[in-house]
Amino acid sequence: MMKTLRHKQIQFWVYISILFLFPVLFLLYKSFTLPMRYETHLHAHFTMQGWVTLFSENQLIQATFVSLGIGAIVVILNLIVGLTAGYALAFYDFKGKSLLEALILFPIIIPLLAITIGVHIAMIRLGIADTWVGVVLIHLVPTIPYAVKILRNGYTSLGTAILEQAYVLGPDPWQRFLSIDLPLLKPAIRSTIFLTFVISLSQYVITAIIGGGNVVTLALVFFPFLNSANSTVLAAFSIWFALLPFLFYILIELLFLLLPYQKPWRTRS
Amino acid sequence: MKSSGTTKIWLLLLPVFLFLLLPAYGLFSALWSSLIHQGSLSLQTYQELFQKETFWSSLFYSLRITFIATGVSLVIGLLLTRTFYPVINRLPGKLSVWLPMLFPHFVWGYIVLLLFEQSGLFSYMFHHLGIIESRESFPILTNDQNGIGMILTYIGKEVPFVVLMLLPVYVQKNHQYKDLVRTLGGGRWAAFKDAEWPWVSPILLESGVILFAFILSAYEVPYLLGATFPEMISILTYDWFYAGDWSERPLAFAAMISTSILIGIVSWGLYAITNRKRWLLTKGKR
Repeated sequence: MMKTLRHKQIQFWVYISILFLFPVLFLLYKSFTLPMRYETHLHAHFTMQGWVTLFSENQLIQATFVSLGIGAIVVILNLIVGLTAGYALAFYDFKGKSLLEALILFPIIIPLLAITIGVHIAMIRLGIADTWVGVVLIHLVPTIPYAVKILRNGYTSLGTAILEQAYVLGPDPWQRFLSIDLPLLKPAIRSTIFLTFVISLSQYVITAIIGGGNVVTLALVFFPFLNSANSTVLAAFSIWFALLPFLFYILIELLFLLLPYQKPWRTRS
Repeated sequence: MKSSGTTKIWLLLLPVFLFLLLPAYGLFSALWSSLIHQGSLSLQTYQELFQKETFWSSLFYSLRITFIATGVSLVIGLLLTRTFYPVINRLPGKLSVWLPMLFPHFVWGYIVLLLFEQSGLFSYMFHHLGIIESRESFPILTNDQNGIGMILTYIGKEVPFVVLMLLPVYVQKNHQYKDLVRTLGGGRWAAFKDAEWPWVSPILLESGVILFAFILSAYEVPYLLGATFPEMISILTYDWFYAGDWSERPLAFAAMISTSILIGIVSWGLYAITNRKRWLLTKGKR
């Protein structure tokens, strides 16, 4: 039995290396070497030029902050909608529940482009097209269905017992949420934050349409770069896209430390 | 399950209802815009759309790419999960599967370009191994008419998605059912069909529908890796939407509504094929 598990592990890592690890490592390698010349001999020239060029672009720094800001607001809104709807769906039975569940899935089944060009005129009339408000709103469409799903599952596996116990002990709902729900739901909240942020960061076409070129996120900088920059810079830029969720994640983890029952030395409360 | 406090339920559901107004409005507005022709309600735009050769070739092309990419991702994802779920469920396994999720689709598309284009890594390596003479003799795998580059991108990005969707099913599944089937004399196929498929198929179906809808209408990857002809339906829509004098905007709306209807039909079809009764049965137990 042990032998087969070991065997399986090796097999797994071989597949994973081919499918996922190798492409990512190659991208990392590209960001530190000069572009390959087809005719020349095999050898790599180490360079920091890609990263230096990337960070000397003012546009990139600005776009990073815009993306972080928009991502943060999208994440907060996702958590609000996800936690409330997730709670209701996990613990209550009501008329039309299965219909509602289907409706919540529908924004990720309907083409995002259809929804975006559909709301475009209305957003112009409301004066939120070409602003970050419009971009945040359109980024909610591909994210909230996942947030509700993840947080609903989180609440379901938590069960009612512990929440009822909290209810007996103290009727202040906000305090209950902070000291019971939030720490226990941490894994689900983490996944929601991470996924939501990554999805928001990946939106090019809907940001371009609704933002009208005024809201310049990282994706909007990347696409024109594809035609102009060399592969070293582009590889560094590509890595930056994956690093940003990490930075955001570390920020969130630091925030989590402020929650009750996180510090080992705090045994009484 | 509690059932009291209707006001509280509605209060809790208020944010999600407010949110749903946005996509609902978008869809109806797109539908409305596709049905208005010179100030009155008509199907004129659709008649015009359905007469366009570019629309049909683009639609069938998009469908082909989407079916292949979705199917291959589901199969690889399922095989990986069912073979390796004990390994994936540990931290290093989980992290490695999450890794591609970190990258936006267009970045993964760029990686595919770096690897598979005619001046990419594989072409370069084959050249230095003496297998090919020049970069022109490397097959065209990106921006190609068969959409191979797009399919490769989607496989790289969607396999982890499928694995992460299926993982909880395999981790929480009662594996003794399988032993039961074997004890009763069933073969491997019977064990899969009766002790595995009923639990897996609803999630596989849900993942399949999400992927199908996404790939059929996504813009970024075709923009990066698509051929100039035929175009994916999203590219065509975008071009119509921004065509100079706005005269082709109704076509963009009609194309997107047609795509939405198509997704609706396919999802419903898939849903009908998979055994619905079994789904309901397992749903209560898990």
